[in-house]
Amino acid sequence: MMKKLKYILPLLAVIGITACQKDLLSALPTTDIPDTKAFDTPDRIASQAAGLYSVLKHGKFMGGKVLIANEVRGEDYTNERSNNVTLFATWKMVATGESQEVKEIWSQGYKTINSVNVFLAGMNAKGTSVAGKEASDSYIGEAKFIRGLSYFQLLQLYARPYINGAGNQPGLILYWEPHTVAGVYTRARSTVAESYSQIIRDLDSSETLLPKEAATATRANAFSAIALKTRVYLYMGMWDKVITEANKLVPATAPFESDAGYQLESNLRTVFSGKYTGEEAIFTLPNSEATNDFPGTQTQMAYYFNPAPLGGNREYNLRPEGIIGDAFWKATDTRRKLITTASGKNYMNKYISPDPYTDYIQVIRYAEILLNLAEARVRSTNALDPQAIALLNAVHGRSDATTIFTAASFDSPQDLINTILKEKHIELLGEGFRAMELTRLGLTIPTKSSIIPPTTPTTNNYVWPISSDELVYNKGCKDNY
Amino acid sequence: MRKSLLVVVSMLCLVTSVLAQTHRTVTGKVSDESGSPLPGVTISIPGGKSGTVTDAKGIFSLSVTTETKTLRVSFVGYEEKVLQITSDNLGSIKLIPDTKAISEVVVVGYGTQRRTEVTGSITSVKGATVATLPVQSFEAGLGGRAAGVQITVPNGVVNNPPVFRIRGTNSLSLSAYPLIVIDGVPTFTGDVGSTSAPLNPLSSINPEDIESIDIGKDAAATAIYGSRAANGVVFVTTKKGRPGRPRISYDGWVGISSPNRLPKLLNARQYLEMKNEGLKNAGNANTYVPTLDAKGDTVDTKWMDVVYRKQAVSQSHNVNISGGTEISNYYLSAGYTKQQGILRQNDFIRKNIMLNLNQRLGKALSIGGKLSYSNENSLISGASGSLEGEAFASGGLARLAFLTSPIVAPYNNDGSYNVDDGYIGGGDNVLQTGIYNPKVLLDLDRSNVESNHIQANVYAELKPWEWLTLRTTYGGDYIFMNNDIFENAISGDNAASNGMANSIHSDYKRWIWTNTAQFDKTFNYHSINVLIGGEQQRDQRERYGLQRTNQADSYFNNTEGGWINDYSSDLLRRQNYLLSSFARVNYNYREKYYVSANVRQDQFSAFGENNKKGIFYGFSAGWEITKEQFWADSKLSEVFSGLKLRASHGKVGNLAGLGDYDALSLYRPVPYGGDPAIYYYQSGNPNLGWEVSKKTDVGLAFGLLNNRLTGELGYYYNNIDGLILQVPQAPSAGIPHTNTTSTIPVNVGKMYNKGWEFNVNFAAINKKAFSWNTSFNIAFNKNQITELSGSELTSIPFVTSSLEQTSVNKVGYPAGMIYVVLTKGVDPLTGRRIFVNAAGEDVYFDPAAQDKYKYADGKIASPVGTKDAVAYKNTNPKVLGGFENTFRYKNFELNVLLTYQTGFYVYYGSYAGMKDQRYWNNSIDVLKRWQKPNDITDIPRVVNGDNISNGSSFAIAANVFKGDFLKLRSVGLTYVIPETAVKPLHLTGAKVYVRGNNLAIVTKYPGPDPEVSSNGNNASGQGVDRNTLGNGRTVTVGLNVNF
Repeated sequence: MMKKLKYILPLLAVIGITACQKDLLSALPTTDIPDTKAFDTPDRIASQAAGLYSVLKHGKFMGGKVLIANEVRGEDYTNERSNNVTLFATWKMVATGESQEVKEIWSQGYKTINSVNVFLAGMNAKGTSVAGKEASDSYIGEAKFIRGLSYFQLLQLYARPYINGAGNQPGLILYWEPHTVAGVYTRARSTVAESYSQIIRDLDSSETLLPKEAATATRANAFSAIALKTRVYLYMGMWDKVITEANKLVPATAPFESDAGYQLESNLRTVFSGKYTGEEAIFTLPNSEATNDFPGTQTQMAYYFNPAPLGGNREYNLRPEGIIGDAFWKATDTRRKLITTASGKNYMNKYISPDPYTDYIQVIRYAEILLNLAEARVRSTNALDPQAIALLNAVHGRSDATTIFTAASFDSPQDLINTILKEKHIELLGEGFRAMELTRLGLTIPTKSSIIPPTTPTTNNYVWPISSDELVYNKGCKDNY
Repeated sequence: MRKSLLVVVSMLCLVTSVLAQTHRTVTGKVSDESGSPLPGVTISIPGGKSGTVTDAKGIFSLSVTTETKTLRVSFVGYEEKVLQITSDNLGSIKLIPDTKAISEVVVVGYGTQRRTEVTGSITSVKGATVATLPVQSFEAGLGGRAAGVQITVPNGVVNNPPVFRIRGTNSLSLSAYPLIVIDGVPTFTGDVGSTSAPLNPLSSINPEDIESIDIGKDAAATAIYGSRAANGVVFVTTKKGRPGRPRISYDGWVGISSPNRLPKLLNARQYLEMKNEGLKNAGNANTYVPTLDAKGDTVDTKWMDVVYRKQAVSQSHNVNISGGTEISNYYLSAGYTKQQGILRQNDFIRKNIMLNLNQRLGKALSIGGKLSYSNENSLISGASGSLEGEAFASGGLARLAFLTSPIVAPYNNDGSYNVDDGYIGGGDNVLQTGIYNPKVLLDLDRSNVESNHIQANVYAELKPWEWLTLRTTYGGDYIFMNNDIFENAISGDNAASNGMANSIHSDYKRWIWTNTAQFDKTFNYHSINVLIGGEQQRDQRERYGLQRTNQADSYFNNTEGGWINDYSSDLLRRQNYLLSSFARVNYNYREKYYVSANVRQDQFSAFGENNKKGIFYGFSAGWEITKEQFWADSKLSEVFSGLKLRASHGKVGNLAGLGDYDALSLYRPVPYGGDPAIYYYQSGNPNLGWEVSKKTDVGLAFGLLNNRLTGELGYYYNNIDGLILQVPQAPSAGIPHTNTTSTIPVNVGKMYNKGWEFNVNFAAINKKAFSWNTSFNIAFNKNQITELSGSELTSIPFVTSSLEQTSVNKVGYPAGMIYVVLTKGVDPLTGRRIFVNAAGEDVYFDPAAQDKYKYADGKIASPVGTKDAVAYKNTNPKVLGGFENTFRYKNFELNVLLTYQTGFYVYYGSYAGMKDQRYWNNSIDVLKRWQKPNDITDIPRVVNGDNISNGSSFAIAANVFKGDFLKLRSVGLTYVIPETAVKPLHLTGAKVYVRGNNLAIVTKYPGPDPEVSSNGNNASGQGVDRNTLGNGRTVTVGLNVNF
């Protein structure tokens, strides 16, 4: 016995350790949901669909920096802080592939696109059977809308405009397949035209899949896809298609109240305070005071553009020589109430919520569609198109009832176009349109400081370079110059 | 454990003794320095095999041959004595505590070994060496004391974990920090706090409670820790009680630290001159104007004085009581330290208590344990700019100190803070004069962390037979932290949100249960020792915070006060589990030939489903050449008292720094406009497995002149052929990640470290009145990356603080090369900076021109940027070491430690800021700027707004400097108060000392300190000095008394 004990005792010691908790070796996290369980219930799939918008509205993408970049690349602002983190280099028109905003927007844009691709693959494999066809169609339509919008916004910053060679310039790297594991992802850029085709494919599909009802504007519906298409075709210079799409939404005559329920708010301020999802909002990205439901540090619109007393950091003020100094914009125009002054300087004040900056981001609103249609009509008819003038009056008249345009107000169709463009410049100031509105037409980006010369369409810095990370890790990608 | 081994070993000696000649019996009584008897002391004959141990009263008697002239008296923790046998009764023999690096017993994993038996590479450092240093944690004091051990104190913020490397950088994406095992329990390392005040969990150990530090470097010494051994293993053993009457000891010191080598900046007059010249050159009609103080004098603020303490005061006090009998012993200690940093408001306060208890129950069973509790407060006002990720913090105080214009003051003339919309006010200036007002940040803000750290273990050991030891140990390491953050509403990051308070509670919890069985057997000159064991370890981390913004009243400055908005923050809950079994065999023949092998299997929860299991091993052999007959017969034996050759090889792993769920793909919850949503948050790697390396080591240890001179020469080759790399993914792939550049951990990449180590210790003079001990160590290391991700990816840039690309890991180069755009000085004709683009062409940059980049011939060039960067200089020291001398004259002892590192470069990024031509204040070097044709200078023409010429926009070679240094690390003068003076005070001993730390440095590096790291311990971004706080120098005076 004693002899045996000699061997039993040490064995007991070892057995002591085998009384272990093997299950702990594969314990799952309790705070995140593993991919293997992501499509298990209809509710979870619904949450995933909503989550795609969360990625889209990240402050480094559509929730902030895309808009800010398009604003400050334009001629309307003066930089106050000389801070490269808040787009000083972009404002100076010297952003490089290594600039933080160039890398961030590119990266966050593609994260949004891949989220859509992963979701679509998951729906195909399992989700559709769990959620049912009706709900699934809707989710898939939303996903494609988000992908189309993301590609469109990236295209405006990182590729030469369609007008430059009818889209024959390098466009985006296009992906439809999901990426979930480490790999060597090498793919060349498609052309601008091919990129636009993909956007249109997504939006056409969205229009088909999504319900034709203007429910809450924080989720895409068929009309959101149609409205976005008016913008996309306008940027491609396909005026007839702009008209075709716009006519699905906009009635032929004033007051242009859409059968779908869209119409202009009586006061523009309403669109940017409290009633973010009213009749004018076609697609809007909501923010709330819930944790992580508002944009992150140094990406918030109100932080960039408001003066300190209004909770901003006055990164940028409005140049007196910019659009606010234009005589066309009358002093009595109520849109001037969306400009505030502090310490003798003017500040864009469409976004009003202080920290945590919960203003909604109006991505598509009805006024833009009216002006898209107006411009397309004049360009396609090359005449002083009466509907175009009526549409212009509808948008302008809301804020300045004293000015009523008639055919006699314009020397030429071009004069009318210029007026529509100026109207759009004023109407959409602060909403992330300015730089892309210039580049789509191949217009020079004007000077905005003694140290920043005008940027002509042939210069390298007319559009952004590609993210330096992309060039390092995707050998198939070529820069813009 | 140690003792039982010693007994076994001593008995072995007895068994093998040969009694041939005429004998006599020698007796004596051994006591410690205070006169208390020492039982268990080994008495042996030099060169011979026989010996004995002292009994409980410290008395021994040993039979020796008449030819035997000397006796060796040795005991753990005491200096060995060799006595002339002058009579049969040697009377009272006093041993003094050992402070030398080499002692009898070294700690290895799950046990101890006699130094002579060790076949791995282990360097030992006595606890006393770090006990009274003005450091917060013991490892910060190890620099220069062990060959191949690199300690870089990265900045002057107190309680910051030092950069700790053993034999070079052994990981790229995971942690390269060694595994720290305290009394058998692997502990947490790194900065575990959630604030701008770093919290190094190792600072919970009072350095005065440390008995010894054994640093295992090769596979033989570390492989028993298998998956965690790749960076080396540091065994820390705390003090235990010794048999004898109770001993009480007090040690205390006070010290003063002051900033060292701060950069010299422009004063107000010079600032106005430079900035207005820059404005003129830029064609800008604005000018900077002076501001006047209340007395009407021109404001000329020295912001360095606002931010730095001229004299930071520190103190430390420690009392301990220890004692015991043959069957039980205890050690109880209590300590208090408060150390001020050279940055204002930066303090470290620790209160700690530790108890070690050991009790024998009957013949076979002993039990014991340790309980250590410490309460630590790391205090700071806010970002110093020195921690990893902080370099470009807007409120980073080290940067604000050199950036803020001297023409503005902290206060307005009415006594209120000088602020304008959250930024520092410019007085009459319309142009910007700074970022935040640092005085406001220092006065009002808080970013503190309080830690309650408990380390405890209990064990039971059963020795049913002499040859078998069964042991079970259960240990816990729990850290509970309260992080307390407040940012004011006046100036700073949260001025726009009208102030912010954040309280974060964070727990680190670890338990570990170890069971071992050890067999010891000796027969016919064969000695064999077998260890088998099993272990499981579980870690849990939980963290939650409440953040509140929009102060209801300026009265409130804590989270519990009045605020409008509430948010949850810093939520985290994760765990990991490590399940292991291991075995080791040691064998020796006649204490001449040694072989050893160990193996460990680990299973770890964080790895992919199919790769959770890993097997690691090490084997080694040793040959004590002096024991060979041919050697003994040769003349060499007269010179060499010891000569041992050893070699080892093994495979070890690394998992430190890996995320607990990195193998998984995850969806994260987030609200969308108030509705529930989840989004694709992480792409995992289901195949993720161990990071492995193979270590080979050869060493030759020698002793000369009867071991008065000892040393060791070693060669190692560490082939890390299974790195885990955070492999960057092309952004267009859209892989989700919290960083702009998405990465996924993958088992790819190869790197090696190889080199030589040499150390020598020499008791040069050993007279009664005067002695001189000298030791020197040097290590040569070569680090090289041999593969990243296949042929597709041969270069991975590293970005400091998410903003500035400073470093690159590139195949064929050492880790973390400085990655900058080359420069060729300043064109003497035009004052333009000359960059070299990727094509190797010189590009001239004129910030004032419309076309800013041109070739020499005036043709327009593409803008230069980080895409033109080259892997420029190495940041890993090629040579490092220390040189220590101890002189003792009567009651005085002088200890001088020099440390050095050479063969590396530092990117002095702060210097880019100090030459920035925006509103920033500048270094006085800018006065040498180019002004007219044929000016020869390295400072370009100043043009307002220019942040490119001098390296603020992208890193440039002009800001890279050699880091080689020789430091007077420590100088200590101790006076041992004579016994005659202390006896009447009922003291058994007392000494006073004065000590200087970091007193002088010889270097060509122009920044405050070439020992610096803006990226903390991150292996890919070493050698970067970007807006960090330099190290201070410290002088302390101390007192040690024993009752």
